[in-house]
Amino acid sequence: MHERVRSSAGLVWRHQRMVWWIFAVNLLLAWLGSLPVHAALSTVLDHSLESARLVTGFDIGTFVLLLERPDVSARSLAPCPLGAALVFLVYLLLIDGGVITVYLEDRKLSRAEFFENAGLFFWRMARLALYSIIPFGLLAAASGGLSIYAEKLSNDTAPERLGFFVYVAGTLAILLVALFVRLCFDLAQARVVRDNERAVLRVLRRSLKLAFGSGKLFAKYLGIAMFAAATFAIGIGVWVYLPHSAIGASLLVLELVTVTQIAARLWMKAVSARWVALLPLHPDTAHEALTPVIEATDMLPE
Amino acid sequence: MEIRCRRIFLIVAAALLTGSGSAQTAPLSERVVAYRIEGAYNAKAHTLDANEVLTYTNRTGTTLDRFPFHLYLNAFQPKSTFMTEAERTGDRDVEVGEGWNDKHFGSNEMKSLEIVGFGDVTRQMKFVSPDDGNANDRTVFEIALPKPLLPNQSVQFRMHFVAKFPEVVARTGYKRDFLMAGQWFPKVGVWWNGAWNCHQFHALTEFFADFGTYDVKLTLPAKWNVGSTGVQTGAKDNGNGTQTVSFHAEDVHDFAWTTAPDTRVVEDSIGLSHGVVKIRMLMQPGHMASAPRYLSALKGTMRKFDEWIGPYPYAQITVVDPPHGGEAAGGMEYPTLITADTTWWMPKSYLEPEFVVEHEFGHQYWYGMVATNEFENAWMDEGINQYMEAKVMDALYGEATSNLNSRRATIGERGMDRITYVPVADRDPLSRPAWLYMDDGSYGGITYSKTALMLLTLENLIGEKTVMHGLRVYFDHYKFKHPTPADFTAAMNKATGQNLDWYWKQAIYGTETLDDRILTAGSKRVDWYNKAAEKKGVTVYDNEVTVHRRGTFDLPVLLEAKFDDGSTVRERWDGKDRWHRFTWERKAKLVSAEVDPDHGYLLDRDPFNNSWTAEAGRKASSKLAGYWTLLTQWLAQALSWLA
Repeated sequence: MHERVRSSAGLVWRHQRMVWWIFAVNLLLAWLGSLPVHAALSTVLDHSLESARLVTGFDIGTFVLLLERPDVSARSLAPCPLGAALVFLVYLLLIDGGVITVYLEDRKLSRAEFFENAGLFFWRMARLALYSIIPFGLLAAASGGLSIYAEKLSNDTAPERLGFFVYVAGTLAILLVALFVRLCFDLAQARVVRDNERAVLRVLRRSLKLAFGSGKLFAKYLGIAMFAAATFAIGIGVWVYLPHSAIGASLLVLELVTVTQIAARLWMKAVSARWVALLPLHPDTAHEALTPVIEATDMLPE
Repeated sequence: MEIRCRRIFLIVAAALLTGSGSAQTAPLSERVVAYRIEGAYNAKAHTLDANEVLTYTNRTGTTLDRFPFHLYLNAFQPKSTFMTEAERTGDRDVEVGEGWNDKHFGSNEMKSLEIVGFGDVTRQMKFVSPDDGNANDRTVFEIALPKPLLPNQSVQFRMHFVAKFPEVVARTGYKRDFLMAGQWFPKVGVWWNGAWNCHQFHALTEFFADFGTYDVKLTLPAKWNVGSTGVQTGAKDNGNGTQTVSFHAEDVHDFAWTTAPDTRVVEDSIGLSHGVVKIRMLMQPGHMASAPRYLSALKGTMRKFDEWIGPYPYAQITVVDPPHGGEAAGGMEYPTLITADTTWWMPKSYLEPEFVVEHEFGHQYWYGMVATNEFENAWMDEGINQYMEAKVMDALYGEATSNLNSRRATIGERGMDRITYVPVADRDPLSRPAWLYMDDGSYGGITYSKTALMLLTLENLIGEKTVMHGLRVYFDHYKFKHPTPADFTAAMNKATGQNLDWYWKQAIYGTETLDDRILTAGSKRVDWYNKAAEKKGVTVYDNEVTVHRRGTFDLPVLLEAKFDDGSTVRERWDGKDRWHRFTWERKAKLVSAEVDPDHGYLLDRDPFNNSWTAEAGRKASSKLAGYWTLLTQWLAQALSWLA
C-alpha cells in the first residue's frame, strides 16, 4: 500500500472519534426515522402469532401482506427515512469544515475550534454539494439510459449476455466517473478550507485540473472504494449465513459494515486533505489562507 | 436389469407410436372439426402463406345456417379491441401507456374462402364484434351458409390466408429467428349451450375451440428445428434450402408450432399409467442449464397429475424454451405443447423454470382436456390449474419454499397467491367474463389466485382428499368436453357428497371477502372485587375472546384458545353473526387465542389479526424495525455522497 494512503488511513484511525460520531448520528437519525415504523409494526405484530414467520425466517408472502395493511403501508412510512437521510446530509455538510480541518492539520481540535471551522465553511460546503448535484444527476441519468440501452440489447441482439456485459461495463465506468467527480469535489472542499477560499467555483475548476493531473490520487480513491466494496461484500456474506433468529448478531454485522463505509468515506477525505495540504498555496489565494496549516515540506504531490 | 429391459421396451413402444403419429385408436373426443393446413413460412417476412381445409361435422343436434370464425392475429393492430383494452387495462405483455409499436403488427388476411359445393364466398365474409361493437376489430367474421347444415351433416371450408406474425406478443409471434406460432389460422367458433360462441380476441382473454384432428404440413427453412402440437409424421428436404414437415394431432382443440435455427433438442420419456410419454424439449443454447430443471419439474408434475387426476393420454409433450427478449412467448399452453421461461442467469433458489413448466403442463388437463370456455370462465382453467400448481409444487419443493428458496427469504405458492389476491379481493367475481375485469391485476389476482385459495380453503372445510377426489371425478366426467361453472359445482357437490352451493355462491359468483379477527381478548378474575392477591391455579378467571367477522364471506369459525395451565380448547362458531364472544371460566388465564388455527382459510385477507397473545412478542417488530433503521442509514449514506 502506498505510504500516503497508509498515512491517511492512520489519520482516520487517529481521529476515529469522528467516524464514531458520524456513525452515531447516522444511527440515531435512522432510529428516529424508524420510530413510526416500529410503532406501526408493534401494533400489528407484537400480539400476533403470525409474526413468528418473520422471526424464524423471512416469508416474503407474510411480509407483503403486512405491507398491504394501511397502517404499515411502506408508501405512508417512506417520508421518515427520506427525512432522516436529508437531515444526515445537512449534518455532514455542517461538520465537513471541521473534519477537513482536522485532516489538514492532523491534530485534535478543541470543540470550539471544530465547530468554528464547521460553521465557517458550512455554506461553502453546501454550495459545493449543490454544484455536485449537476454531475451526479447527469451520471444518474446516464445510469438510467444505460439500463434502458442494456435491456434493449438484452432483448434484441442475438448474443444473450451482451446486454448484461454492457450494463456491467457501463455501470463500472459510471462508478469510476462518479468516483472521479467525488475526488474533484473533495479536493475543492479541502482547498476551500485550507485557503479559506470563498469563490468555490474557481476552486472547483482548479481542483478539476488537479484531479486530472493526479492519476495516483485517483488510484488511491479507487483502492479505498474497492476496500469499501470488499468489506461490504464480506459483511453481506457473513450476514447471509447467520440464522434468521440471530437478530442481534445480524444487525451487528450490518452495522459494522456501515461503520466501515463511513470510515472509507472519511479515508477518502483524509487522502484528499493530505494531498491538498502538501500543495503550495495558490498565489491568488495565499493571502486569504487562515493559517499555515502545514509546514513547508518537500513531499509534493507525485 | 428387468426394470431396464422394461424401460427399453416402453421407450421403443413409445417411439413406434410416435412414429405412426397415432397414439390412440379410438377417438377420445367428439371430433367436430378436422383441419388440414399446408403452408409455407417466409422466415424473413415472418409470414405464412397457407391453404386450409376445415371439415366441420354438425354434432349440435340443431340446424346451422351461419358460421363464425376467429382471426386472432388481427388483434395485433392499433384499433383492435385487444390493443385498445391493453392500452386501457394492460395485458400480460403490453403495459398500460406503452403505446403502439409497429413491430407488434400482426394479421390474418383471408385471400379466399370457399364453401365446398357452393363456390367462393369471400365477398360474403362479414366482420362482427359481438362483445363491444368495435367496428375496427377484425378478429371475428361470419359467413352465412347458402344451404343450412342439418345435424350430423358435414360442411367443408377451403381457405387461402396469409398470416403475418407480430414480434412476439400475447404468446405468439417471432423474436429474431425464433417463431412461436399460436392462434395463427382461421378457426371456427364453438356451438355451445345452444348458440355460437365466438368472442373477439381481448387483452385478457384466451381461447375456446372444439376438439378434432389436425393434419398440418409446413414448408420451412431447411435444418431448422421444429416442434408442434401432436407428433411429427414426416419431413422432407426439398433441396432448395427448405424442408417440408408434416404433423398430426387428434383429440385436441388447437394447433401450435414453433421453429428456430439454433435450438437444441433434448429428448426423454416417462412411463405413466397410460403408457410411455415422449418428452421433447426445444432449448435455447444459452439456457441449457435450465434443461434439467424443466425436465425434473415436468416429470414430477406428470407423475402427480397421473396419480391425483388421471392419465395423460397423448404420446408426446413438447416443451419450448423461448429466446431472450421473447419471453412474451413463454408460459403458455397449447395442446401437447407448452412454452417455458428461464434466463441464462436464473438462480437456483428461484423456481420460475419449475413453476412455469408445472403450470403449463397442468393446462393439458384444465384447458387441454377439460376444455372450458376461457373467454367467459377463465377461472375454470387458470384457477383450477393454479390450485393444482400449489398442490404439485408444494409436494415437490416444499410448501413454504415452492417459489423462492434462498437463505434470507422464502415464499411458497400459497404465499404468492395470497399477495396477488389480497389487493384485489373484492374487485371482480370469478364468474365475470375475462374481458370485463377491472384490469390485468384484478384478472390475475382473481382468476388465478382466488380460485386456488378458494379450493385450498375448501380443503379446510371438507378435507384435502375430498377436494382432490372431487376434481378427479370432475375431470373424468368432463374431459374432452366443454363444462360450465354449473357443471363444475354440480360435479364437486356430487363427488364430495355435500351441497356446497352456499360456498360456491360466495366464492364464485360473489365478491365477498373473508377477514375474521380477534377483536378483544383477556382474562379477568371472577371475584374482581376481591383485593387479595391472585394465586396461580386457585384464582378463577373469566376468560373472554371476541371474534369479529369483518368480511362478508360466511364461513364457520374455529377458535383455539391456550391457557397458562397448558390446556388448549378448540371451539366452533357458525360465523353467521358479525361477532361472537367465547368465554371460559377456569383457574387459568388466557395465553393466546387464534381463529383458523390450522391456517387453512387462505381466503382470509389479513392473517395478522387472526390471533392474539397475552404477552407481547417483540422479536418480529424489532427485527423489521432494525432492518428499516439500517436501510435508512444506508439511504442516508448514499445521499451523503453529495457531501
